[in-house]
Amino acid sequence: MPLLAIETSCDDTCAAVLDGDRILSNVISSQSVHDRYGGVVPEVASRHHVELMVPVVEAALADAGTSLDQIEAVAVTAGPGLIGALLVGLSTAKAIAAPRRLPLIPTDHLHGHVAANFLEPDPLEPPFLCLIASGGHTMLAAVRDRSGFEVLGETLDDAAGEAIDKAARMLGLGYPGGPALERLAADGDPGAFEFPVAMSRDPGLDFSFSGLKTALVYRCRELGEEGVAERRADLAAGFQGAVVDQLVTKLRRALEREPWPAVALGGGVAANGPLRAAVQELCDRRGVELKLVSRELCTDNAAMIGAAARHSEPLAWPGYLSFDAFATGPRGRR
Amino acid sequence: MKTVGFDTATDDTVVAGLDGDRVVAEASIAPGESGRPLHSQTLLDAAGEAADALGGWGEVDRIAVGLGPGTFTGIRIGVATAGGLALTTGVPAVGVSTLAALAVGIAREAGASGPVMPVLDARRGEVFAGLYNPMGRELEPPFVGSPEDLVARIGEITARLPQPPMVGGPGAVRFVDQLDRAGIEVPGPGSALNRLSGRAVCELGAGAARSQPGKPLEPIYLRVPDAQLWLERDGRDPGPT
Ligand SMILES: [Zn+2]
Repeated sequence: MPLLAIETSCDDTCAAVLDGDRILSNVISSQSVHDRYGGVVPEVASRHHVELMVPVVEAALADAGTSLDQIEAVAVTAGPGLIGALLVGLSTAKAIAAPRRLPLIPTDHLHGHVAANFLEPDPLEPPFLCLIASGGHTMLAAVRDRSGFEVLGETLDDAAGEAIDKAARMLGLGYPGGPALERLAADGDPGAFEFPVAMSRDPGLDFSFSGLKTALVYRCRELGEEGVAERRADLAAGFQGAVVDQLVTKLRRALEREPWPAVALGGGVAANGPLRAAVQELCDRRGVELKLVSRELCTDNAAMIGAAARHSEPLAWPGYLSFDAFATGPRGRR
Repeated sequence: MKTVGFDTATDDTVVAGLDGDRVVAEASIAPGESGRPLHSQTLLDAAGEAADALGGWGEVDRIAVGLGPGTFTGIRIGVATAGGLALTTGVPAVGVSTLAALAVGIAREAGASGPVMPVLDARRGEVFAGLYNPMGRELEPPFVGSPEDLVARIGEITARLPQPPMVGGPGAVRFVDQLDRAGIEVPGPGSALNRLSGRAVCELGAGAARSQPGKPLEPIYLRVPDAQLWLERDGRDPGPT
């Protein structure tokens, strides 16, 4: 029973067709237009979504070798995310579903990142601990069953990927900054500069990256333009090390609180080599299985929304006609 | 020709079903108590009712959607809804200018035979306006500008034409004082002349060239995103902080 899924919460226009946990198609249209702005501009993202939405859905149906006649439900990201961007996907999804009287499954974007782990060919069954780090979110979640998750910790300010992008910018690297910062850091000494181990004394599991950003601003100011140019690699290594350190510290703390058989690492920042290595080492030491979501399913995509939708509440027609998007989600169990 | 037409570029959610020249369904839903438009909550339901009044989506020949100018998010809710409906029903969707639709409504209500200048509130103390004939054909391209710009434009057009253009619409009501001072007549705030009509959206959609269906629906923003403005003005982007 194929399901069509749509995701437009940030800057990727995505549609996918799933049969159970099997991905039949997963189309992602990334908007490189934001590169010149050094970050995602909501209005620019929304303009591209509305332009790309129908072609992306058509491509997803074609790639899956199916048509809307075969689709039995429409899943869509209802939030959290950029409200104007979300509304493009939601309006489209509702309009596709309503004339056919198909059920609509509004889905939580973060549940999608969690549910990326359920997808074939290499599914991970709950219970597991899930760390999502991307440009839009940083979250540590307890996943006890497929139908939801509990937020154990989340960022109080910038997302991890956002902090990395800002640091990359300060060091004169392009956007997105992740891969460039990682390459630069590889030649640097992570111990050359001291960065605050943010929130390390805080017993909670929340994250904060704004202190790190401020520290980098000060280091750059002290060094001056020439000094920064000379010590870029060391600064990058120090900054990246501090970000990884905080993520791993919170993960370790969560593993100490409660025994978990497995850890899943997702989100765009999960592609970072040093982070992967540090999490792998932590899991090996504690005898915990580590699941790394494939790169395609790590970043925003609609297949993960379809995966979450299978375990979410469908709304029957006409109950969803008035359904609206939400920008921020509730804290706690979702 | 059976047409379902809607527009969400203004704060209202405007929908109609038109069978030939007979209006079989019409709705204009004002913003809720909070003042926020109800586009996302009400459009699809109202469009479905309009389709039902025409015998169901299977009987509908065309979907007409207002492309703006207007509120960016509102325009996109309309265009995305039209795109989804067209994809799922196979009914071709065509875009119409919200200003042109407003012009058609003004001309009909006023029985005007000369040019019409419909005016929309563009927020930020500005207006969207354009010059159209009573059938909604564009005589001069739409623009965004201050009320002073609008007054100057109307003066310039009046000097050129045998008769002054008929002015109306929510933007004219919003800046009635400035227009009044310039001696430009504006219909009273309660007048039907100032309201965007779903019927006019349908009529323009039904009359759109045959070749248009299948073309992607392109919103009419008339304004670039602020971030792009900063980038062009400063030669650099302000960047995240
Ligand atoms: Zn995401």
